[in-house]
Amino acid sequence: MSRERTILIRYDEIALKGKNRRFFIERLRHNIRSGLRGLDGVRVEVPHGRVLLHCADSQTQEIVKRLKVVSGIASMSVGVMVEPDLEAMARQGVEWIAPLVEKNPNATFCVRTRRSHKGYELTSTEVDREVGGRILEQLRPQGLSVNIDRADFRLEIEIGLPHTVMFQNRIEGLRGLPVGTSGKVLGLLSGGIDSPVALFRMIRRGCRAHAIFFDNQPYMGKGGHDKVQRLCRVLTRYQQAMRLWVVPFEEVQVAIRDNCRPDNRVVLYRRMMYRIAQALAEREGYQALVTGESLGQVASQTLENLNAVSRVVQCSVFRPLIGMDKNEIITQAKNIGTFDISIEPQPDCCSVFMPEHPVTKARLPELENDETRYPWEELLQQALEKTEVQDPEPSPF
Amino acid sequence: MIYLDNAATTPMDPEVLKVVQRSMRDDYANSGTVYSAGVDANRKIEQAREEIAFALSLPSRFRIVFTSGGSEANNLFIKGLCSPDRKAAYLGLEHPSVTEALDSLKVFGNDPVRLVEYREQGKMSRKAVPYLNEKRVRLLCLSHVNNELGVVQPIVEIAAMLRERSPQTRLFVDGVQAVGKCEFAETFWEGVSGYSVSAHKLNGPKGIGCLIYDDRLDLKPQIHGGKQQGGTRSGTLPTPLILGLARAIRISSERLPETRAHLEALNERLRSGLRRLQSDIPELKLRFNSLPVADWARQSPAICNFSFTPVEGEVVLHHLEKKGILVGLGSACSAHSKEPSRILRALGCSVKEALCSLRISFGPQNTLDEVDTFLREFGQAYQTLYPAFRSKAIST
Repeated sequence: MSRERTILIRYDEIALKGKNRRFFIERLRHNIRSGLRGLDGVRVEVPHGRVLLHCADSQTQEIVKRLKVVSGIASMSVGVMVEPDLEAMARQGVEWIAPLVEKNPNATFCVRTRRSHKGYELTSTEVDREVGGRILEQLRPQGLSVNIDRADFRLEIEIGLPHTVMFQNRIEGLRGLPVGTSGKVLGLLSGGIDSPVALFRMIRRGCRAHAIFFDNQPYMGKGGHDKVQRLCRVLTRYQQAMRLWVVPFEEVQVAIRDNCRPDNRVVLYRRMMYRIAQALAEREGYQALVTGESLGQVASQTLENLNAVSRVVQCSVFRPLIGMDKNEIITQAKNIGTFDISIEPQPDCCSVFMPEHPVTKARLPELENDETRYPWEELLQQALEKTEVQDPEPSPF
Repeated sequence: MIYLDNAATTPMDPEVLKVVQRSMRDDYANSGTVYSAGVDANRKIEQAREEIAFALSLPSRFRIVFTSGGSEANNLFIKGLCSPDRKAAYLGLEHPSVTEALDSLKVFGNDPVRLVEYREQGKMSRKAVPYLNEKRVRLLCLSHVNNELGVVQPIVEIAAMLRERSPQTRLFVDGVQAVGKCEFAETFWEGVSGYSVSAHKLNGPKGIGCLIYDDRLDLKPQIHGGKQQGGTRSGTLPTPLILGLARAIRISSERLPETRAHLEALNERLRSGLRRLQSDIPELKLRFNSLPVADWARQSPAICNFSFTPVEGEVVLHHLEKKGILVGLGSACSAHSKEPSRILRALGCSVKEALCSLRISFGPQNTLDEVDTFLREFGQAYQTLYPAFRSKAIST
């Protein structure tokens, strides 16, 4: 079949956007276009409340795969244009449902019509009934029956989009908002399970998420850096482009280790990470920091320590995972494709830099006192100057 | 770059590389086909077998079966012979492809015998032989040269004892670290039933090795298919890799006397240099896990393993890497596990000593200058890192 296909794309939240709606839809259309780069002959239309894609039959599988990672799409359905004629619609329905009944004699279906062309001679319910009746007539002997609520096959008809189009079952999209409608953020990426999920959640809220990684080579091998690069390649799938900033961090860690109270080290490292991230965000025009912290997960993630760390920056810090538990985070990491990379064994530098008993309730005066014992401003500047940037290509999926 | 991790793998010898490249281009015909290009490929493979047999002084009762490498050769022999119910024994210092293959027999209720109490400085004690007899063990598995320590098992001596005191026990030897470093005379093979070789440990290509075994044994195939190699190991033969393996073995055997002398010189330089560092750097406390003396019948000159508490080996490794020097952390197969080396622990090292260790392994391409550079950079890295670990050592 080299027939032309039509893919209907539904968005939900954008519909609520009032005066900004055009901006959101334009952004979605732009993101869909760049997500489909390299596929020839695809046409995009934006009739009221929908996005329609016209493509060749052979392209549909690839397009659906790519659309599944576009934020802002609630669901999509693959279909064909038909004549607005009851017989033609029923014929198409039988063509799709017959193979299903052959496999499963207890299969059920329903017809759902939406009519934006109000001049059409029948109402939506009448079309449901007429088309459904014709299909049932042909396939009932094989076992097909109707089930309005839990149909195996949901046949959708849209009359007057301006065309009349019929669709097969809905395919879930990512939901959320189109990337680029909510500004740019900078996420602290570690190579663990949590931080990529935190970044993903911001991407789905329409942000373009860039990443910053604190590298402590030569204490740790190149493994950590390599992992973070690959995680970024997975995250790039969801937003087409992102930047990865790699900050050499070993000098800061050595200075803190050699000069400050051992128990406070972890919080002091994090205070420096936040400071460096904020300075970079200001320079690059990123509007907020994002971290994968989840309350109480490890010693550094108590309310006291989170507060002690947040105190050093003025910009917004978002922690999308703060109220999630580990299992929820793991499930999402598996869904977005970062989990397998995150759990690869990573050489860590705990033995060199981590204290035996990290403080769980850091006290600000103590931390401030520790920070008079090493030249943090100078080290911050140095780290920023030595920071390198990479633009990871999206990994194939 | 200075590469001192030759027990993990080795760079390709330029001559071997040329052989493989040319063959990749020319010998694409399937050696199992009947047209002349296939017949030619088959002839080249048979020549390679002869070349290997000649270089290793193999008696004619041995067969060579090509495999994907040392691990497959070990698996093929152990499972092929002992599955389901032939009793096997091992020392516990072997490579995981030996120990795990033996453990896989447990599903048949065939638990391997572990000779923990019969180890003496990494070698099997003579007293093990009557025990093997008593336990009716049918196969003893040993490493010719241990991959982490370089300990050499006295294979000829053990084989002779087995013949006399435990005649039903056959001997299988993992030779992956030995070929190219040890000498093979026809007498070596007298008591050996199986022996495994891997090309990439002797400057050959990765993905090829072979199992050498006594033709009178009936091995159960582990890979079924087109019945290549008499059905023992199915799969289309990779002509270019086989030619590369044969050439690598031939070159290493031709150059063996000079290679041995060279490796010994490198090893001497390393050990004396480490001792000098120890006297120059008061906080450096070395422990040689390999034999600290030049007894080359018991210790391979290609490997030197030592500990230096309290600084962690992995951190030193990355500091050396920064200077362009690559060294080993125990065995590469377990380097990802973060567990301290099983072999070092078995030898009596504490967890700390096992974590604070490096394995230096030489190849014929290394130079004395490279050893000197390593010593200088190791000393520096140790001094840089010591303060961080000292406080740790005190607090624990």
